[in-house]
Amino acid sequence: MRAVLRLALLQARRDRGTLAAWILGIAGLGYAAGSAVTTQFAEDNERAALISVAAASPAFLFLRGLPDGISSGAVTFFQGYSFTAVLAGLMSAFLVIRHTRADEDQGRSELVGSTQVTRVTSLYATLLLGTCANVVLAVAVAAGFIGADLPVSGSLLAGTAVGAVGLFFMAAAALVAQVMPSARSANGTAAALVGGAYLIRGAGDALGTADSSLLHVTAAWPSVFSPIGWAQRIRPFTETDPLPLLVIGAGTVVVAVVAVALRSGRDLGASYIAADDSGAERAGAGLASMLGLAWRLQRGSLASWCFTTAALGAVAGGLGPVVGDALEGNPSVAELMSRIVPGDVGLIDLFTTAMLGIAGVLAAAAGIEAVLRLRAEEAEGRAELLLAMPASRFRWLGSTLAVAVFTTTAAAVAAGASAAVVLASGQSGASSPGTVFAGALAHIPAALIFPALTLLVFALAPRWSSAVGWGALAAALFLGQFGELLGLPVWLQDLSPFRHSSAMPVEAFNPEGAVLMAAIAIAVAAAAIRLIRERDVMV
Amino acid sequence: MNTDSTPVIHTSDLVKNFGRTSALAGLDLSVLQGEVHGFLGPNGAGKSTTLRILLGLMRPTSGTARVFGIDPWSEPVRAHRDVAYVPGDVTLWPNLTGGEVIDLLAGLRGGADENLRRELIDEFDFEPRKKARTYSKGNRQKAALIAAFSRPARLYLLDEPSSGLDPVMDAVFRRHVRRVTSDGATVLLSSHILSEVEKLCDRVTIIRSGVAVESGTLAELRHLTRTRFRVTSAVKPEVLSTWRGIHDLSIDGATIEFDADAADLGYVLNALATAGITAITAAPPSLEELFMRHYGLQAAGQASHKSQQSQKSQVL
Repeated sequence: MRAVLRLALLQARRDRGTLAAWILGIAGLGYAAGSAVTTQFAEDNERAALISVAAASPAFLFLRGLPDGISSGAVTFFQGYSFTAVLAGLMSAFLVIRHTRADEDQGRSELVGSTQVTRVTSLYATLLLGTCANVVLAVAVAAGFIGADLPVSGSLLAGTAVGAVGLFFMAAAALVAQVMPSARSANGTAAALVGGAYLIRGAGDALGTADSSLLHVTAAWPSVFSPIGWAQRIRPFTETDPLPLLVIGAGTVVVAVVAVALRSGRDLGASYIAADDSGAERAGAGLASMLGLAWRLQRGSLASWCFTTAALGAVAGGLGPVVGDALEGNPSVAELMSRIVPGDVGLIDLFTTAMLGIAGVLAAAAGIEAVLRLRAEEAEGRAELLLAMPASRFRWLGSTLAVAVFTTTAAAVAAGASAAVVLASGQSGASSPGTVFAGALAHIPAALIFPALTLLVFALAPRWSSAVGWGALAAALFLGQFGELLGLPVWLQDLSPFRHSSAMPVEAFNPEGAVLMAAIAIAVAAAAIRLIRERDVMV
Repeated sequence: MNTDSTPVIHTSDLVKNFGRTSALAGLDLSVLQGEVHGFLGPNGAGKSTTLRILLGLMRPTSGTARVFGIDPWSEPVRAHRDVAYVPGDVTLWPNLTGGEVIDLLAGLRGGADENLRRELIDEFDFEPRKKARTYSKGNRQKAALIAAFSRPARLYLLDEPSSGLDPVMDAVFRRHVRRVTSDGATVLLSSHILSEVEKLCDRVTIIRSGVAVESGTLAELRHLTRTRFRVTSAVKPEVLSTWRGIHDLSIDGATIEFDADAADLGYVLNALATAGITAITAAPPSLEELFMRHYGLQAAGQASHKSQQSQKSQVL
């Protein structure tokens, strides 16, 4: 027991910065969602209008969750629960993989395992740390809601719902860590489970049935298969029901017990899905260059990113017309929508635009991920080997940058193409598939600023590249989602590059914004390439 | 281009500080064409830092470093053109096979000599179809060595290259070092193992706490290569002290410890046989012991303290 505690403290020490950032970020998001509702939708009739729009619109239900009355708390929960739950799941999943499969990959588990501990002591420690992190998260989210003037008991329950989702994915990731052969594949699988839970909940909610008042929606059967869907059924701000908590708790315990049993039954470094340990004896002609290497290292995650954005594009193209049908001819709805996106807009276009905006954010994320490979190459010592070759740092950086730009572009193209194809195959009176395709591409210049910025930080202060890269994207996402709702000053909102890319098809294409963003991205990347010559390679 | 008079590697008063810790404190190093130069020092003495400066991976705080007369920091590509490097701690791309890594690294230098590549893989008993994540430290080192030796270079920078190799593989490694030097190449071999350097090197530079403390041919440094004896014998101390080539004698009852010069080994062994012994161990002194002896306990204590600091700064 003492060993579990000591190892948990060690893991907590390693994680203190990361976990603090996650918890504060998630709680901050909850606070922002709460104050957006309490300040911008202070009147009952405003909230009623918002909820009735949502209840009638499968797309809203899909993205956000189930409307459950018009109290401030219920509207906040509807607006903010799904996102916070997804973030809690990701936080917990990455936490667990970091201390299990990743430690095994790096050989640290071997060192710890040689001391007076059993095979599962370290896993117990990780589960303890994850539990503590989720308890703190639950309290922090509740504090965020309370800080936004929402009822105390409901806020505590809402925080508990988010923490419960985190706990479940902590256990699920512990199981994934036993099964998958590498930290990279384990992280991907665990994140996909979180994303899948969100999508299954989305499907269940979108197929749900509204009551006669159009203010409550009950989820359909698919949501039973999603822990995010279960925790939503707690209904913290209305008719609270603790039973779903017990279901999630029981599920968490069962999965965790299985994970512990699997860890206990396997060798160090072994996995229940075996890695493919052999491959080609000779490198293909393409690999024997910096560019070839950069492509080889990125192509797997490039495919995953494109798959994800294509799925999003398909939703954008397929669900857009459904939204339009549901809302056509409801003037109060149009009025309300115009408060979220100003201007005279078609409802289908509005939905499509929002989805393409998310695709743009994902494209930026793909670019950041591609650039951060440089950091791993340097920190893990492979850059030393490469840069001792007669190849310049310019080629090293430039090759990765080229692959990152391609990744971002491909992710946006995949979203646009899939949206356009799905749109073209259905019948609707919305924008042409070509316009929708162009709408996805319109985000590329703004999205490219993020990999360029990450590259610049890598050139100047490599240790900060991950934090600044992802932090900048999170900030831009926050400004985009809540900047308008919170009435933040225009100059602050303008800091987000996505504010300057054209929100097609709602807006017309604005070449000035695109050119400006592209120019900034190029200038930042050029500065990075210039500055990388000035510092020591970290070893 | 380079004659014996212009060194392949030349550093003068090389200083490198990491924050407040000093890794190199005025290092002078000269490596002549065609020689195998041993770069000897305890852990953290600054060997790897020196190699990284020679590769242009790090900028010296002050002083100059030249490789083929080129400043590696300002013109790394030109300086690297004829250089093969094997780092002390080889990490590879976990998803690439060993064969792919060899082709990649050799390819960046212009491509491997196919015959050499085959020969090296065979001699090192290397499995090129396995993914790099499955390799042990020794196998990762083999991959880097095969990549380095599979294409001729004019300068080989090898950072503790055989630390993960077993004795058989070590012999293969030494054979290839001799092969490239017989073709006229220059080798700088860093190590903390005196015997390894003895087997391969023409000249040696000893580095401690970031400065070169000794430099010369092995013959010139012969006084460093005394053999440490530990015998159990009833021989009288006053007899012992008359023997030739004996140093640092210590007697504890019947256990006698002393160092013997290499030139006098035959004489000492004969004398021991005559005196009668019941147990004997003989070992070359470790480098750490040499430092303790030659530079005083206090200096060595400082060295190890400093080395810890500079290691720490490399990890952080």
